[in-house]
Amino acid sequence: MESFFTFLENNSIYIVMFILLTIWFGIFAYLNKLDARLKHIEKEIEKEGNE
Amino acid sequence: MIYKSLLFVLMTIIIVAGISFPIVPHPTNWYEFPDIPGLEEKAKILFYHVPTSWLAVVAFLMSMIYGVKYLKNQNLDDDAKSHAALQVGMIFIILATVTGSIWAKFTWGKFWHWDPRETSVFILLLIYGSLFALRSAIENEDKRAKLSAVYSILAFLTVPFFVFIMPRIMTGLHPGSADDDNLGPVVDFKMNGTMQFLFYLSLTAFTLLYYKMWSIGYKSLIIKDKLLKKMLR
Repeated sequence: MESFFTFLENNSIYIVMFILLTIWFGIFAYLNKLDARLKHIEKEIEKEGNE
Repeated sequence: MIYKSLLFVLMTIIIVAGISFPIVPHPTNWYEFPDIPGLEEKAKILFYHVPTSWLAVVAFLMSMIYGVKYLKNQNLDDDAKSHAALQVGMIFIILATVTGSIWAKFTWGKFWHWDPRETSVFILLLIYGSLFALRSAIENEDKRAKLSAVYSILAFLTVPFFVFIMPRIMTGLHPGSADDDNLGPVVDFKMNGTMQFLFYLSLTAFTLLYYKMWSIGYKSLIIKDKLLKKMLR
């Protein structure tokens, strides 16, 4: 475990990489959620229009 | 579904490879990047900064195209598409300015130098920022759409000059300016195969991201419009 921390201390660029990956996963999940919500609302509007 | 997975995989590859691949003076392995004089370790910004500024130009072009379409067909959906492209373009140009400014701090010593490239981006931010002010100042939606379509066409006429011409014919600090004999065209001559491949992959990934953001943006604007009209009925 200690060697892992020493490795990260000497190669801190990997910490940057993990932070960026986390941000990217967050953005991607948020965009997908928004897309799914929009599709749901679109369907609802269509349904109401048909009724 | 394929499009979403492709976007996810490509962007993950760009982040992992773009950051973790080492920069060495004479690359011998496929995963090594060459040491570009003047950029050195900071060359990794190329995978994020260049696509964001490029996508800002594409977004402003799309905004103009849909502006023209609106003027032709008077369809408010085209105005929503133009407005959504403008919003995404603004996000990308702010990202390009911020990343460039952080890079400048470590390369030139200060966050802001009023270098020709920085000045032109600042003017573009003002030009496109005022379009948002214009849109929010008009209540009548047809009038708003018409005026913003005309403004987006006029505003885009300045983009090639501020992005591609002025920073290249004037002397400055930014790579690619007139007195830049050290760097020259970075993409073609100074990159090796892996770096070039990753760079174009990054452009593709950012374009897909732009398309996703844009489609979500215009769909939500159209839905908002529909719901508002329904409420008023």
